[in-house]
Amino acid sequence: MTDLTFLALATVTVASSILALEARDLVYGAAALGIAFLGMAGLFFLLDASYVAAFQIAVYIGAVVVLILFTVMLVGPQLGEPPLELKRLSLLAAILLSLLLGTAGAVSSASAFPGPDNCGSGCDLVGLSNALINQYGVQLEFLSLVLAAAVIGALTLAKTETKAE
Amino acid sequence: MGNPIIDLLTSTYFLEIAVFPGLLSIAILGALLGWMERKLTARVQLRVGPLYASPAGGILQMFADIIKLLFKELTIPDGADRFFFIMSPVTALIIGAALLGLIPFAPGIQIANIEVGLPVFLAIVTLSPTIVLLAGWSANSKFPFIGGLRALFQQTAYEIPLWLSTLGVVIVTGTLSLTGIIEYQQNSGWLIVPQLLGAFLFLVTSTAEMERLPFDLPEAESEIMMGWQAEYPGPLFMLAQGPAFVKLYAFSALFTTIYLGGYLGPAPIPPIVWFFLKTILIITLIMLFRSTFPRVRLDQLLRQGWTTLLTLSIANIIIAYFLVVGIPAI
Amino acid sequence: MVAQGIPEETGYILFLFAATILLVVVVRIVISPRDPRPTPEKRAPFESGQISAGPGRTRFIIQYYPYILMFVVYDVIAMFLFAWALNLRALGSTGTIPVLIFMVVALPPLAYALHLANQRENW
Repeated sequence: MTDLTFLALATVTVASSILALEARDLVYGAAALGIAFLGMAGLFFLLDASYVAAFQIAVYIGAVVVLILFTVMLVGPQLGEPPLELKRLSLLAAILLSLLLGTAGAVSSASAFPGPDNCGSGCDLVGLSNALINQYGVQLEFLSLVLAAAVIGALTLAKTETKAE
Repeated sequence: MGNPIIDLLTSTYFLEIAVFPGLLSIAILGALLGWMERKLTARVQLRVGPLYASPAGGILQMFADIIKLLFKELTIPDGADRFFFIMSPVTALIIGAALLGLIPFAPGIQIANIEVGLPVFLAIVTLSPTIVLLAGWSANSKFPFIGGLRALFQQTAYEIPLWLSTLGVVIVTGTLSLTGIIEYQQNSGWLIVPQLLGAFLFLVTSTAEMERLPFDLPEAESEIMMGWQAEYPGPLFMLAQGPAFVKLYAFSALFTTIYLGGYLGPAPIPPIVWFFLKTILIITLIMLFRSTFPRVRLDQLLRQGWTTLLTLSIANIIIAYFLVVGIPAI
Repeated sequence: MVAQGIPEETGYILFLFAATILLVVVVRIVISPRDPRPTPEKRAPFESGQISAGPGRTRFIIQYYPYILMFVVYDVIAMFLFAWALNLRALGSTGTIPVLIFMVVALPPLAYALHLANQRENW
């Protein structure tokens, strides 16, 4: 029965991401993006990464999708374009890319990647926390720099210039 | 042997989801909480409140309202986006019901025991202002749209202090699962004592999350005419208002679980009764806020949320840190 | 719990749910038949009796944009703080130093953002 769950979640994720790209009305697209993230969170749960799944819902859908929705509503419907026509070259590109990604996926799953271990006896949240802080402490500092830069940069870009008093 | 349908109907999982603490009990409790709110605010305002619909004190009033609303006409405004208009209240109700699946009502009665129960609860709750934004946008009418935008900005004000106030609980107990938090409280006393500031912050920010007075900007009744719910006809109006009570129930249940020890309590009274006593106490407290405080302004809320509430939650985290690590270790 | 598969009762619960909704809809149609055609009055936006003028999605509150931005960034920061908080008893004060530096770097932009947000003429 696990396969059914995975299949349903995968279908939802892929279908809503296609919808997010192709929808004419951008608000539908943003909402479909939210559903795609929800599907991804479900997939994270299936992989027993429940911590990541919980924060995927909280941060991606709760914050990023909201920001996108706000921006889309602000800008208005004139920004949506009609779906692109299926030209031959783009069809060829799509087929080649699917082949490439499919091959990469098959190779990586057949190689010696350790599969997800079903944490039946409790997921290793403590291990996650230890690894994050002790092992990846330096990366954490860089991450904080990135976040600080994001705040300052976005605000500087968004504000209008103050008129000289 | 045994009839498979009877087996199905009495299997624990089915009973838990469909009856208690699942769908049927959510519906009935939601309606009863609506009655309780009207009666309580009426008494505070020296009125009588619902009186006629029943055997005692108008207790069937909300059920009468539900039946009345079911039979009203569904009119959708011009230019409204039908899909989101109809799906938003339904999704809000689903979110509210999903929240209650995470709470341990009694040792053994819990629909989903996830080891990251606390962040998942808060994450699901974070989705509801997005739904309100979509609902307000979809009605293609000025007042609902303003209500939806206000819900969005209100979320940005209180959401971080809400997460950070529960961070204190996580520090002290060292676990993210709700049953783990109750086990900690069984051994070391109710968490409201070391986390008094956190409990207060949680109460304030969760009242803001539930869009109740004093934070009911998105549905400000006297300013923008029921805000995002203004255009919702009959049955959809019921679906739009219902999640407010379900969220009230869910948040009070969460407060009881993480600060007041959930279902823990001395022996002669069964745990489930303890749980409900504590939850009703918190619900009454939150309902009394409604009769006591005036509404905040949006810019006041944003500024206070990001200065006062954030500072207090960081102070709470520092207090919890010193409680766990010990004072000399700096 | 999801990794162990969906119990079979789920299908029956969904069926019960759908049956309830269908029942309600049928009862509605039977008990109160009405003319479902929308008249112009029914379709107009509701403004407590006032005739509405102008498009529906007009007033935008843009001056609080910095708050949304801060919210997105600090939500991410909250995620890392939860990872730290969960294990504080084992990490102790030495484990807190990376997180302390993290917060020291991430908090001053908050002050800058609040300062910018207070200057209303920027938006």
